[in-house]
Amino acid sequence: MLLSIVIFLPLLGVIAIALLRNMGASAIKGIALVISLLTFVVSIGLYTGFEAGIDGFQTDSQLYQKLPWIAGLGISYHIGIDGISLWLVLLTTFLTPICILAAWNSVEKGLSGFMMSLLALETGMLGVFCALDLFLFFVFWEAMLIPMYFLIGIWGGERRIYATIKFVLYTMAGSALMLVGILALYFQNGNSFDLVTLLATEGTFDHSYLLFLAFFIAFAIKVPLFPFHTWLPDAHVEAPTVGSVILAGVLLKMGTYGIVRFCLPLFPQAAADATPWIVPLAIIGIIYGALVAMVQPDLKKLVAYSSVSHLGFVVLGLFSKSHLGIQGSVLQMINHGLSTGALFLLVGMIYERRHSRMIVDFGGLAKKMPIFATIFLIVTLSSIGLPGLNGFVGEFMILLGSFVGGAFSKWYVVFATTGVILAAVYMLWMFQRVMFGTPDNTNASLPDLKPREIVVLLPILLFIVWIGVHPNTFLKPMKASVGVVTEKVKVNESDNTPEVGQVIIDGETQDPVILKVETATLQLIEEEAQTK
Amino acid sequence: MPVEIPEINWSLLMPQLVIVSTLLIVLVFDMIDSISKKTLGWMTIVGAVIALWASINLLQAGTDQTQFNDMFRIDSYSLFFNIIFLVSTILVALISISYLGKGDKKQGPYYLLILLATLGMMLMAAGNELIIIFLGLELMSLSLYVLAGYFRESPASSEAGMKYLLLGAFASAFFLYGIALIYGAAGTTSIPGIAEKLTTESQSPLLLAGTFLLIVGFGFKVAIVPFHQWAPDVYEGAPTTIAAFISAGPKAAGFAAFIRIFMEALPDIQSEWTGVIVLLAMLTMTVGNVIAIAQTNIKRMLAYSSIAHAGYVLIGLAAANDDGTSSAMLYLLVYCVMNIGAFGAVILARTADGESLTISDYAGLGFRKPLLGIFMTLMLLSLAGFPPTAGFVGKFYIFKSAVQAAVQPDVVNTWLVSLVIVGAVNTAISAFYYLRVVVTMYMREPEEELEFNPYPSTLVIGLALAAIGVLLIGILPSLLLNPAQNAVL
Repeated sequence: MLLSIVIFLPLLGVIAIALLRNMGASAIKGIALVISLLTFVVSIGLYTGFEAGIDGFQTDSQLYQKLPWIAGLGISYHIGIDGISLWLVLLTTFLTPICILAAWNSVEKGLSGFMMSLLALETGMLGVFCALDLFLFFVFWEAMLIPMYFLIGIWGGERRIYATIKFVLYTMAGSALMLVGILALYFQNGNSFDLVTLLATEGTFDHSYLLFLAFFIAFAIKVPLFPFHTWLPDAHVEAPTVGSVILAGVLLKMGTYGIVRFCLPLFPQAAADATPWIVPLAIIGIIYGALVAMVQPDLKKLVAYSSVSHLGFVVLGLFSKSHLGIQGSVLQMINHGLSTGALFLLVGMIYERRHSRMIVDFGGLAKKMPIFATIFLIVTLSSIGLPGLNGFVGEFMILLGSFVGGAFSKWYVVFATTGVILAAVYMLWMFQRVMFGTPDNTNASLPDLKPREIVVLLPILLFIVWIGVHPNTFLKPMKASVGVVTEKVKVNESDNTPEVGQVIIDGETQDPVILKVETATLQLIEEEAQTK
Repeated sequence: MPVEIPEINWSLLMPQLVIVSTLLIVLVFDMIDSISKKTLGWMTIVGAVIALWASINLLQAGTDQTQFNDMFRIDSYSLFFNIIFLVSTILVALISISYLGKGDKKQGPYYLLILLATLGMMLMAAGNELIIIFLGLELMSLSLYVLAGYFRESPASSEAGMKYLLLGAFASAFFLYGIALIYGAAGTTSIPGIAEKLTTESQSPLLLAGTFLLIVGFGFKVAIVPFHQWAPDVYEGAPTTIAAFISAGPKAAGFAAFIRIFMEALPDIQSEWTGVIVLLAMLTMTVGNVIAIAQTNIKRMLAYSSIAHAGYVLIGLAAANDDGTSSAMLYLLVYCVMNIGAFGAVILARTADGESLTISDYAGLGFRKPLLGIFMTLMLLSLAGFPPTAGFVGKFYIFKSAVQAAVQPDVVNTWLVSLVIVGAVNTAISAFYYLRVVVTMYMREPEEELEFNPYPSTLVIGLALAAIGVLLIGILPSLLLNPAQNAVL
């Protein structure tokens, strides 16, 4: 019941705003903010009610619901969460009020429509993460396109119409194929769209390679995995600031969530056979995204391409199919949502002041805007992956998990690691050009952050540090759920797949010498998680 | 030879009888000058509502009987189609009342012809006999020819009527020729009779030729590519209300007879015709959607979109299973509501000097005319098949039935699978041009300020009903799904 409230509370806000839209701008903003904050507060109940020990989906009636919906087609309203979706749900409810507050003064026309789109989008995204019925999942997956389409198309920049149509058509083309896949699964699942019974199915499905492909392409477009990424820079650059935040923060995670929820556990054999094809694509994405980001003159485009690179890491971790790698990927989804979301917010704030996003137009901001520069630095470092901040934990787990546990050549991981270095290059170089040097007259007169803007950014900073210092808060609840995925994935592989921090030498599982230190740390984390 | 007069159960014929009496009443009242012509429109609506109520009652009672020596079949299939026709008629009458304006002498025949066409459609759906179906088809078509050219002073309307008449007559000839050949092969025109004959005797070339002529005839009537050329011209030239009407009810009626003949009379030669249907469906969807992209006139765009939608319905027929039939029925109902709704929104965007039909005229309307913007957006999203609208449910069910037919445990019917994939890809293509109208309404600034007429209340009621229907079916599809599933042949 609680979960349904979380999902549909924003929709209630949409209706409320629709009815009261003549009340004036502050009332509309107030309603939107209150509703989204309320949603966040209620969603904390999901965390407190969460049982970390349960494999699979939570069974508590607050966190799980199943009602008949379209009985004639075997469709039910079936929602629930596990350790993976819990964090994505919380990320969504966390970012939405921040977005509403960030957009406080920047919407010039159609304010009520803007807030309604944002709240409707929240319901759509939450539904995607919570749906346990494939039909319901697809409904939310498609329905969420409409508000995003309006957000980019109405409140976007110069080339917004091109960007928004490209975004919708790319996604629809992918989801059209996924629909066929969903239908084909339906008949193999005893005429039901129930995900839980699908996940419990022993053995492989008929035509599992085609089905894997149908699902994977839809998700790869959403992630976006190279070479399906071309819609992303357009959409990001043209979207309004909060549109970019939501897009990078949550929407892209729908793709990686789909991979870990559907592609890996439903079609383990196909996923295993596809790994040699997908992992290189992920690594190309990491390096290519970083290289293109390096030469971008436009701040927003730079951040957009850095997303391609970061999401490549997530896909790499998922397809390592090791416990550590997948956990790292899920954590990295959250990290990327926070860091990149914050970066887009910061770029938006500076754009509102300077009306430019070109790096050459800036310089010396650090002197005049110390608070802005400090926050920007922390977020930049978090995005690069500085130890002590969130990005490091996720990327390290992914790389280590792929190196020791990945069913592919270790050279791949070596290449992927260069992405971390490249990230430092493009981010720090950008930071240097924007923040240091002597400001010209225009830049010297820019005001520093207002209290509202600090309030917008502080919660994100809090979590950036929290995840960096004590990731166990976040790893513990997802451990069992990731374990379910890795179990499913390993079904068809040999038994001597190495555990965390172990490698096979001469057919025997042994601790590697080189990785002694790192594994020791990680095993400590793991043990601590177990004892708790 | 003694002639036996068959026992007639008049209560089963209630829907048809109500429509006949309504049209007689309209005819009589049209002669009284002191009565406002709008009353005729309301009479049409009341009559259609009563007929609708009667049909629903019969449907709920699970009626399945034949009348007039087995020529006329009242089963849940025909009753479900009655609902489609009557809903279309009610909606069209609602949007017509304000469209025709006040005090015009010509309104009587307008409603009369609409009712006659409705009666023809009901005959087609209930026909258990090729001749009855032909009779219904002609009754419907002749009324529509006149309606398409109803605005005599407008050259476009006259041209539309003429074109429709010529091509329609051509199609009827094909259809009749097909019936003749099938009669030659089977020795009967009764649908169960043909089916019986087919199981006992080997198929003759005559029968196959007749079957394909029937496909051509129906292809013209429901505008399947490559027999679709009349549709855009007729839709563009005909009065917009009539374009809405032609695109909805008659198309459903064509499919009603199409599906009944092919699923009931010709199931034994299914292997011969499914291939053709699959090809036609692919062609129809793709050509309709791709050409629609290039349109700048919204009526022509809707014409091509309605061609494409006929292709989606054909998927249901190609699946050739129970779910295929019921999904086609559900889709036709949904399609009628949303298409009439879309045409209604076009009428709503009326300026002092007529309708604004160029898509670019809609620039900025979304914010200046919020109600119009919402109606239009909802209908177009539904046509494009976005959840949570009825269009999504309809398409989903159609694809589901086709996948069910295609994916068997051991074999995969690659033809059907590719059909579904073509259909799914077409959905994405169609989103492009539907969304373009939405883009124009909400995301572009108008070049010149157009003065729009105030909203007529009947039109808004009609549109509101369509909008409620589209959302209700989208969120609670079981309301219609169960009747549709129970109404299969």
